[in-house]
Amino acid sequence: MKALILVGGFGTRLRPLTLSVPKPLVEFANKPMILHQIEALKAIGVTEVVLAINYQPEEMLNFLKEFEAKLGIKITCSQETEPLGTAGPIALARDKLIDGSGEPFFVLNSDVISEYPLKEMVEFHKSHGGEASIMVTKVDEPSKYGVVVMEESTGQVERFVEKPKLFVGNKINAGIYLLNPSVLHHIELRPTSIEKEVFPNIAAQKKLYAMVLPGFWMDIGQPKDYITGLRLYLDSLRKKSSPKLASGSHIIGNVLVDESAKIGEGCLIGPDVAIGPGCVVESGVRLSRCTIMRGVRIKNHACISSSIIGWHSTVGQWARVENMTILGEDVHVRDEIYSNGGVVLPHKEIKSSILKPEIVM
Amino acid sequence: MESSEEKVVAVIIVGGPAEGTRFRPLSFNTPKPLFPLAGHPMVHHPISACKKIPNLAQIFLIGFYEGREFALYVSSISNELKVPVRYLKEDKPHGSAGSLYYFRDQIMEDSPSHIFLLNCDVCCNFPLPNMLDSHKRYGGMGTLLVIKVSPESANQFGELVADPITKELLHYTEKPETFVSDLINCGVYIFTPKIFSAIEDVSMHWEDRANVRVSNFALQMATRSLLPDFVRLDQDILSPLAGKKQLYTYETMDFWEQMKTPGISIKCSALYLAQFRVASPHLLAKGDGTKNATVVGDVYIHPSAKVHPTAKIGPNVSISANVRVAPGVRLINCIILDDVEIDENAVIMHAIVGWKSSIGKWSRVQADGDYNKKLGITILGEAVSVEDEVVVINSIVLPNKSLNVSVQEEIIL
Repeated sequence: MKALILVGGFGTRLRPLTLSVPKPLVEFANKPMILHQIEALKAIGVTEVVLAINYQPEEMLNFLKEFEAKLGIKITCSQETEPLGTAGPIALARDKLIDGSGEPFFVLNSDVISEYPLKEMVEFHKSHGGEASIMVTKVDEPSKYGVVVMEESTGQVERFVEKPKLFVGNKINAGIYLLNPSVLHHIELRPTSIEKEVFPNIAAQKKLYAMVLPGFWMDIGQPKDYITGLRLYLDSLRKKSSPKLASGSHIIGNVLVDESAKIGEGCLIGPDVAIGPGCVVESGVRLSRCTIMRGVRIKNHACISSSIIGWHSTVGQWARVENMTILGEDVHVRDEIYSNGGVVLPHKEIKSSILKPEIVM
Repeated sequence: MESSEEKVVAVIIVGGPAEGTRFRPLSFNTPKPLFPLAGHPMVHHPISACKKIPNLAQIFLIGFYEGREFALYVSSISNELKVPVRYLKEDKPHGSAGSLYYFRDQIMEDSPSHIFLLNCDVCCNFPLPNMLDSHKRYGGMGTLLVIKVSPESANQFGELVADPITKELLHYTEKPETFVSDLINCGVYIFTPKIFSAIEDVSMHWEDRANVRVSNFALQMATRSLLPDFVRLDQDILSPLAGKKQLYTYETMDFWEQMKTPGISIKCSALYLAQFRVASPHLLAKGDGTKNATVVGDVYIHPSAKVHPTAKIGPNVSISANVRVAPGVRLINCIILDDVEIDENAVIMHAIVGWKSSIGKWSRVQADGDYNKKLGITILGEAVSVEDEVVVINSIVLPNKSLNVSVQEEIIL
């Protein structure tokens, strides 16, 4: 089976992190974002994954080679020369996705994390016999998104409504599709929207079906949602009693600590924290609701909450970092500094406190 | 004829990528020294000035940018100005004195009698031949280019005191908290080869203080590694030598700016454009709206740029290669970088528009033009797209963003 992951472009919403690393390679819960998806695809027997990108930095090439070998799955790229929207890239990659076997192929949106019940999706797709299946997820505020109006018992999709003013339903497009090769007849090689053009066509022919995604879902393409997403993800690990979660008297709630990270005495870590490889957390440190990327050093007595600390940064002694502070790569916060929502670009030193949310270039 | 006449070399410190955070977002994809001012890369201006030095043997660029970016530039500027330019790449920053010492063998290759040292991000008229004459008269080891500035702004720089008659450097202090002097260090120097032993002496002194016991033999063998990793010229070498009849000053009455932030580059571009008007007026654009666009004041337009005759350009505008300016556009006090497309009737004022960006019809990209404010000049990074009728005021936009709503006083990541 084949799959296409819509990676897109520069990941500007996840800056400053994406100034150093291409978005698919930014780690989430200590694993590159795209690896979460590739592993889920490999687990149900996908043999080739195509990445639809619109710019190809060198780091991506190296990553592909490394993980192709490690995972035993073929990974190729399909590069747009002009922006093709949300459906055009599928047409662009047609030769890689169609092999004549008639098997359906997956299309995933790269910013999404979820349980990835792909096996159930394949069974659902076979049972309804339609042309396309789409995962939907229930949200509290559907009018922020595109709502999928469907017939509850069969899942047959009636229509899509973009940001509805009145309540029409609470299920939105989760960005996970399973498509028959015949869908490619509906997609031209030009900038096309899958929600506005392709799916409405298939729905009109009564051949589009939606499955409600069990478990959590989050679009982690921006820092606020990334932090919320980590909580949901770690929660799902807890539900599965995953051995990956840390335990100990210094751990509260769900915490992930890479085995090469070191944690000092008298710390309190959690809830909802991920600590990456090679990190050093000195003594007396309090961490909550945050992600600490690879190679970071948190010095004694520091306190970090609701923030993301980028690769190889340092947070000084008694520093307090909170309220959506995002530190890019190689940022050094001096001792005793306070950061309230500072967004700091890579290779900076923070020598004075940031009292209210501010971008530091 | 000229037998063993005194050869002179020039060293231009260009720095490296890690230092350039203040020049963001323009330094993301282009090294700061190659950023264009008045249509030519920043480093072109000091190199051009060095050409006027009599008996110039070689120009060295010292920095830690990857060789590729500079290799192309260096060979082309070498050909264009018919002067030998070499890029010496450091593995890491050594400080300006440290860098000079690190490459002393190459610098002394032609046995020069004098060595000019210039900082790449300095914008001035580089009175190098006159400075050399004065230096020879003073007979010291080094001469600094200095300039008087307003007392309020002096503390951003190195302040110094000079003897009004002998011009000797009496006292030097970097960015003092209290007022010392309104005379500041311009970042342009002349030295005799004695500078290398001065650097050695100072670092030996450090080593003594650090109490490192090394035998004389080892000292001779390892002079290069004996130097501490980072030696600054001003604070570590010149400041201690002030008042010892070794260092002198040469005051310039002309313009001087240091290009610390992107906003200042518009001011510097304007200063160089004004210099072109005096020294090389053929480089400036002309037009009155008939066959060419109306040009007001000093304007540089690259030969490959296409500007519609109904556009009005200037004062103080630089337009780089392959730019397309549509009918009815108004440009004032701005720098338009390569491959930009500006659509009909757009207005751009007090802004820098990054490479490959596109500016929509009737859109406005402007700022209040206060170079000292963080958002006083609007800066669009590479490949930014401003859609039709959108207004961008006093903002900085990082590369690859698309603006479809108006913004004011914002940094857009």
